[in-house]
Amino acid sequence: MKVPLLVIGGGLSGLAAAIRAARFTADVLLIEKHSRIGGLNSYFYRNKTLYETGLHAITNYAEPGTKSAPLNRLLRQLKLKRRDISFCQQLQSEIVFQNRQTLKFSNDFTLFESEIAEKFPNSLDTFYQLLGFLKEFDPFQPGPFRSTKTFLLERIQDPLLVDMLLCPLMYYGSSVENDMDLNQFAIMFQAIFLEGMFRPEGSMKDFLDLLLAHYKKLGGSLRTGCGVKTILQKGKDIAGVELDSGEIIECDHILSTIGHQETLELLSESQQPLPVSQPRMGFIETMYSLENSKQTQLPTDKTIIFFNTSDTFSYKVPTDFVEFSSGVICFPGNFQNLQTDKYTEVRATHLANYDKWKSLSYDKESYAAQKRAMSENTIATLENLIGSFRSNIVYQDTFTPVTIERYTSKIGGAIYGSPVKIKDGDLGFNNLFLAGTDQGFLGIVGSMLSGVSIVNQHILPKL
Amino acid sequence: MTSEEIKDLILEIIEDIDDEADFDNLDPDQPLRDQLDLDSMDFLDIVMELRKRHKLQIPEDDYHHLASLNSCVTYLEPLLKNA
Repeated sequence: MKVPLLVIGGGLSGLAAAIRAARFTADVLLIEKHSRIGGLNSYFYRNKTLYETGLHAITNYAEPGTKSAPLNRLLRQLKLKRRDISFCQQLQSEIVFQNRQTLKFSNDFTLFESEIAEKFPNSLDTFYQLLGFLKEFDPFQPGPFRSTKTFLLERIQDPLLVDMLLCPLMYYGSSVENDMDLNQFAIMFQAIFLEGMFRPEGSMKDFLDLLLAHYKKLGGSLRTGCGVKTILQKGKDIAGVELDSGEIIECDHILSTIGHQETLELLSESQQPLPVSQPRMGFIETMYSLENSKQTQLPTDKTIIFFNTSDTFSYKVPTDFVEFSSGVICFPGNFQNLQTDKYTEVRATHLANYDKWKSLSYDKESYAAQKRAMSENTIATLENLIGSFRSNIVYQDTFTPVTIERYTSKIGGAIYGSPVKIKDGDLGFNNLFLAGTDQGFLGIVGSMLSGVSIVNQHILPKL
Repeated sequence: MTSEEIKDLILEIIEDIDDEADFDNLDPDQPLRDQLDLDSMDFLDIVMELRKRHKLQIPEDDYHHLASLNSCVTYLEPLLKNA
């Protein structure tokens, strides 16, 4: 068969790209290696209960009227009606540097401003100067990597405030150790602090089903369980792909959302592997399903807590399996207008070392035992911060970087992909382009806009 | 298509992109983007819809001809005279 556009990868960037293209051309084909779409933000069933993977909260909340907001631009580009999706805003989130300082924030930026004014009065002027800078700054202008850490420390003299500002932004979107690109910082600052967080009212499955139904209504097709064996290449031209099944699909254009190195590895003419200058960031997440009926003291007013219990905040690949001194705690039930359920969830994320988990994974028993031990440490860390909940746990599951690699095929299970991004999606081929994680827009709204903008830039003008 | 029909076509496309678009005070000689708060991504939709509906291939170099309602008419009239 032959299609005008083949999109590889049924994560959110691939879905958005496919929808965008399907609006204007027939016979778009989206293929996904796994049996289920969603990529990093998907779901699974245990004991007949649906559990989400990936999603804590969606950043970039915007009210319906603000046309230039990324969320509303995205919905317009995909021709999705805002009223067809019910969004629930976060209650309130907090950055907690234990025994040092806390900063609350919500979708109302004035809360964050007043917290800074109260807790960092000496840095308030420089904080406002930073806001002024960000207002004028265009983070979409391509340019070389610029260190945010250096930038902030030169302006905001208090290193504690610098770390507290960076902690949530790094955890929700830095693919680089102990730093982030200034462009990425500006994008994330807007996404998290200025705009804020929300989630769809239904499950991630409902959200993915809605996107898929919309895509199919526009005439697009999807194949799941459909891995690519080889991208058929003649120099700078791509003719199509050979699937794992041996079937050949010819196409005029390919958009890959599976990662830069991951894409190069599928090319039929052998490629030089990309140089590895910095490690990829690995994460471990444990989700705890808790019985609501038993009394707990868990916060009911906090949606996300970004925490650090150490004297210094560091965001780097740990030498041990997991680094427990910092992380993210998510309460998926603590959003506005969500129905309370019999069960509630707590999710905890820490940095993890992929290599250690990978080498242990060949020994199933030790791997499982290590997961249990790490979960015990996570519970102890969390209970110290949010109160006890251990006796309420009815189900728990831990996802290591190896789990994430297995289900998403991301190298090293690194959810934010390569530290080096290809911002224009141009891989040096005539009809093969890159969107998604390694293009560089992160988060659900970001990755979807990545798919849309690469289609706009490279595919639509040529279809 | 008459010039009025072309104007209606453009407005219909814009309304389709943004159902909250307000045409009441639209000045046909002023840029559509500024008046209707459209960005370059929305603007591409106008080009793509013209292609989808009328098989018009508008090269990127000509996009500026679609800036205002009246410049759209001037540019599109000869292209759509048999439509």
